[in-house]
Amino acid sequence: MHSELKIMNKSGIQLVAGILLGTLCLSLQAEEVSFKSGIAPILIDNCLACHGPKKAEGGYRVDSYERFLTAGDSEAAAITAGNLEESESLQRIIAEDDCFRMPLEGDPLSVDQIALITQWIKEGAKYDADDPQAVLASIVPAPTYPDPPETYPRSVPVTAVAFNPAGSQLVAGGYYELTIWNVADGSLVRRIKNMAQRTFAIRFSNDGKTIIAGGGSPGQIGEARLFDAETGELQQVLGTTSDVVLDVQLNPSGDKLAVAGADGAVQIFNLSDAKAVRTITSHSDWVMAVAWNADGTQIASASRDKTAKVFDVETGELLVTYGGHSQPVQGVVFHPNDELVYSSGKDNKIHWWNKADGKKSGELALGGEVFKLQQTGAFIFAASADKSVRQLDAASQKEVRKYAGHGDWALSSAHHSDTKRVASGGFNGDIQIWNAEDGKSLISFVAAPGISKKE
Amino acid sequence: MIMEKRMKFISQWRGFAILIVLCLASAPASAAKKVKLLQVEVFPPAIVLDGVREESQLVITGHYSDGSIRDLTREAELTSTNEQVAALQGSVVVPVGNGSADINIKVTGKKISTTVSVSNQDKPQPVSFLYDTLAALSKNNCNAGACHGSPSGKAGFRLSLRAFDPKLDELTLIREDFGRRTNSLDADNSLLLLKPLMKVAHGGGRQIRSDDPAYAVIRDWIAEGCKMDAADAPQPVSIEVYPKSGRILEKPAFGQQISVWAHYSDGSVRDVTKMAVYTSSDVEVADVDRTGLVNGARRGEIAVIVRYLEFIESCFLTFTEEIEGFQWNDPPVHNYVDTLVDEKLQQLQYLASNLCTDEEFIRRLYLDVIGILPALDEVQKFAENNSANKRDVLVDALLQRPEYAKFWALKWGDLLRLTSGQVTPEGVHKYYRWVERSLRENKPYDQFAMELLTASGSTLTNPAGNFYRTAKDMNDCVETISQVFMGARLQCAKCHNHPFERWTQDNYYGMAAFFNRIQRKNTKRTNEMFIWVADSGDVTQPRTGQKMTPWVPGQGEITDPDKHDSRRDFARWLTQADNPFFAKIEVNRIWSHVFGRGIVDPPDDFRDTNPPSNAALLDRLASEFVESGYDRKAILATMLKSRAYQASYQPNDFNTDDVKYFSHYQPRLLGAEQLLDAICHVTDIPEIFSGLPVGTKATQLPAPDLVKNDFLKIFGQPDRQTVCACERTSESNLSMAIQFFNGPLVYGKLRDEKNSFRKMIEAGKNDTEIISQLYQRAVCRLPSETELQASLDHLVSKENRVEALEDICWAILNTNEFLFQH
Repeated sequence: MHSELKIMNKSGIQLVAGILLGTLCLSLQAEEVSFKSGIAPILIDNCLACHGPKKAEGGYRVDSYERFLTAGDSEAAAITAGNLEESESLQRIIAEDDCFRMPLEGDPLSVDQIALITQWIKEGAKYDADDPQAVLASIVPAPTYPDPPETYPRSVPVTAVAFNPAGSQLVAGGYYELTIWNVADGSLVRRIKNMAQRTFAIRFSNDGKTIIAGGGSPGQIGEARLFDAETGELQQVLGTTSDVVLDVQLNPSGDKLAVAGADGAVQIFNLSDAKAVRTITSHSDWVMAVAWNADGTQIASASRDKTAKVFDVETGELLVTYGGHSQPVQGVVFHPNDELVYSSGKDNKIHWWNKADGKKSGELALGGEVFKLQQTGAFIFAASADKSVRQLDAASQKEVRKYAGHGDWALSSAHHSDTKRVASGGFNGDIQIWNAEDGKSLISFVAAPGISKKE
Repeated sequence: MIMEKRMKFISQWRGFAILIVLCLASAPASAAKKVKLLQVEVFPPAIVLDGVREESQLVITGHYSDGSIRDLTREAELTSTNEQVAALQGSVVVPVGNGSADINIKVTGKKISTTVSVSNQDKPQPVSFLYDTLAALSKNNCNAGACHGSPSGKAGFRLSLRAFDPKLDELTLIREDFGRRTNSLDADNSLLLLKPLMKVAHGGGRQIRSDDPAYAVIRDWIAEGCKMDAADAPQPVSIEVYPKSGRILEKPAFGQQISVWAHYSDGSVRDVTKMAVYTSSDVEVADVDRTGLVNGARRGEIAVIVRYLEFIESCFLTFTEEIEGFQWNDPPVHNYVDTLVDEKLQQLQYLASNLCTDEEFIRRLYLDVIGILPALDEVQKFAENNSANKRDVLVDALLQRPEYAKFWALKWGDLLRLTSGQVTPEGVHKYYRWVERSLRENKPYDQFAMELLTASGSTLTNPAGNFYRTAKDMNDCVETISQVFMGARLQCAKCHNHPFERWTQDNYYGMAAFFNRIQRKNTKRTNEMFIWVADSGDVTQPRTGQKMTPWVPGQGEITDPDKHDSRRDFARWLTQADNPFFAKIEVNRIWSHVFGRGIVDPPDDFRDTNPPSNAALLDRLASEFVESGYDRKAILATMLKSRAYQASYQPNDFNTDDVKYFSHYQPRLLGAEQLLDAICHVTDIPEIFSGLPVGTKATQLPAPDLVKNDFLKIFGQPDRQTVCACERTSESNLSMAIQFFNGPLVYGKLRDEKNSFRKMIEAGKNDTEIISQLYQRAVCRLPSETELQASLDHLVSKENRVEALEDICWAILNTNEFLFQH
């Protein structure tokens, strides 16, 4: 008993020494503590769950720099530059009484984390990003994701697929990666690491040199990542938000990117300078899909709030709302004539409706919920929980072909006109390649490295 | 702000400290009782742990020399003879490796043991989606009605209420929104776990801890790949709770560990204590924690409701404590009601109040039996009567009065929803007369119910047919009949299994299959509806799509229903002597009318979570009722003649806090109609109800919508839109106070030129005579000397004699003694 006590004492001393040393090291560093890379990540990981837009305990939020500095219900100054005593937030973090210490009911922050926050306040609690109202997720440096498993213990749902411009390879969303497959034989060509946990949309830039992938980790982060198609090197991260990005779409000229996701917003970026040119926040729930019209002046969106909408890109003005699905809407594309809009949803249907007045013009019932719609040339492709992909004539809505016989829900689809190939990704992790000329299945494989090709 | 919080914490802690001191202080008192521990018993007597997920909760019971028992689960010293085979986590035996071991139990010098046989520890035991994962979600309230179990879910995530629809839950948990909720490559990183841990913002706050058993179940299920159960996997068929109901726990030994076993279709059993959900029917008496440990707080009784998926069982426990100075005083016993009330009072150490006075009795009895106040000469005659059995004689006499049937028809009118709106103006009079005659003739209650439930034909020639006019469709029939005749609120089960009770959605539609063929058609005759039963038509369970066979509780499906009218099968089942609901709900309803509170309360809400305050009494009343041939007047007379009914409303030192066990009478505000009639009686100015015969009293109105009377509405006259007893409210409100302060009705009667005191002035009565009579009219007694003197002083101080009497009468009407039945 006595000896145990001694050991504890000793480690206690070490701990104190550690704090001193840590502070010393920090103060010796010439560089000041960065809010965006030092403080914001601590807030996101430890505080945001209770002090954010969804739950603002004690009337206090930390989801932006400005809010972090604004007092909550207690009206005690949250952070006072250069004054540790009058920084209530710090006082709560270092409180000894665990009825007061933050995070409440959680493990206290580490010694290093506390030292960092202390130092930052001493240095003046400065902000080193542009907009003090920007959500924290958007200012923290893009995370480097863990490596994907060398071999997958089991497959993951194939939530996005895209052909390369030549049509020889298919890019699929994996687990913390993009996997690239040989269309002819289903062999794994390459893996692109440092992607978010899940990928919901994959596009190629118009010049084919960049892969744009939208995804995230559910409930935690969402973003669009731009990779060099040749080397797999990460070039850029756009539209970082607090929940997954569900769709990314380039405008016809390929210089603007629309990013939509579970934060309910559609963000439009200039690819040349990565600047956000517009944010549309008209939907009250997730935006599941977006589409550009032929001349790139309008954007259509499909949302879990049971509506599809059309906006003017230039002004952001809401042009029309369509509520005909009465169920979450999951896919949307424009009719080539730019007068009708197609939308698909959990009502197991594809609707087409007039852009001018939002009135329904027709519908097609499928055997299960309908996920995203893809448009290539004169055709529209729809992946469905009825385990098939439908190919419709975009002008006449006639069913051209049905790619049936997927082993599970078809979640994603892609079409390559020149090689006349259709690809579909399933909930069970299978990718199936089809011949667009006759609807026959050419090859099927499990899109998970390490899991052998199906017999 | 922080200081405030700190203070709150400190005061909470101080409260806790005081509690500890109190507990310590009370301990020696019972230690002084010197009882000896005779025998120790362990449950289960032998343990089989076949699989890595199995475990077993021990319950250790001590039997003492004075016949008492005590839960010793937490006091006993437990050791395993082989830690490599079985280990102990508190009082739970968990498997470690294949083999066998003994668990030795040592408590107060006694030693016993139980054997443990452990097998299949060398292979995985997959998590069952249906019986583990869904139970874990239920245990942590994820699928509660206020959370994701609400019909529209919460924040885009919807589970079926208490997991009644596993198919929907499977889809939601695994597939919906691209499978975002589960991550089988890194199970701990699943949204389904991160949210309730509050590692990711969760509107519901923190709901799980990583060391909860439920966490491990959900995580392992995800890690195993979110697998569904094999189609031929054994299913649970029932649960069993230990200990059995009926334990009496004496303070300070107020703890009781509960253990729960599930029985499976293949005959196997499994301990599900940690996954069962526990609820106490009265948290002021005792609480139950997540592990099934009951902690008593004060004397009383509770039912612990144990729920595991759709299985519900309960365990009744009684908590007793020594009340200082308590000595049972053997109060007079009038009949078996008192014997059974006294048993409970003595056990819980309450003393009955003395008998009420004759004045209180006559007022109380008139209001309860015929709804109105006694006439002056009746009051005087009763006061002058010196015979020993005059109360019993009065009870019998009142039950023969025509007002009895009219007043109790008002009560049944509420239940049967007699309104001219629903039954038509002509129909409602006929229906009312049918009910009133049934009561007047004392029609046996089983026959009364049978006639209602099997009614057919024209509602004008057979007014009982209106039952199916107010119960206007199949759902309404199920809900009305179950609530009125079975005391069960089945509305919930229409859309999902009842969240707290045994009733399932299948039960609802099984009962519906008796009533779905009823046809209703308005005829060409005004106000007439024709009721008949069609020869075909099936009920489909909306969730499963299954065609339902008529079903009744206890008996199950009726395999050979009456081809022409299956309602007869239902009515026969309902009215047979051993029906568990029928007699009980009616005697309880009658009891609640005269005692102001049901033995089960609310009186039409029979359920495990709402146990009777005196089960033996309710059982006896019900069996007497059945044996008497469902004689309502006879059972009512038994109640009214009991000492319990005739007890004073004034509590004594040993029953002040009793509201459930009938140790004293519970004063209550007169009902709306009673109150109006009482005002008319005091002022001698009857209320005129246009369209109804002169002399019709408010307590004799066939339907509330035949007249429009604000006073009645304000005092809680129901619209009769539902069959719930709760529709008649006695909650006091400001409008009531205003009515008595200067409302038009009271004011009008006080100013009426022909009212009681003006007539007495005309007749030449003196002030004392007038005041005395007003008191007798209002509260059935003469004024006390102080009351009389105060009134006389007021008359002296005021110039105008009539105005002074108006004031005095107004003051009397505003006394609690007048407003309350007491």
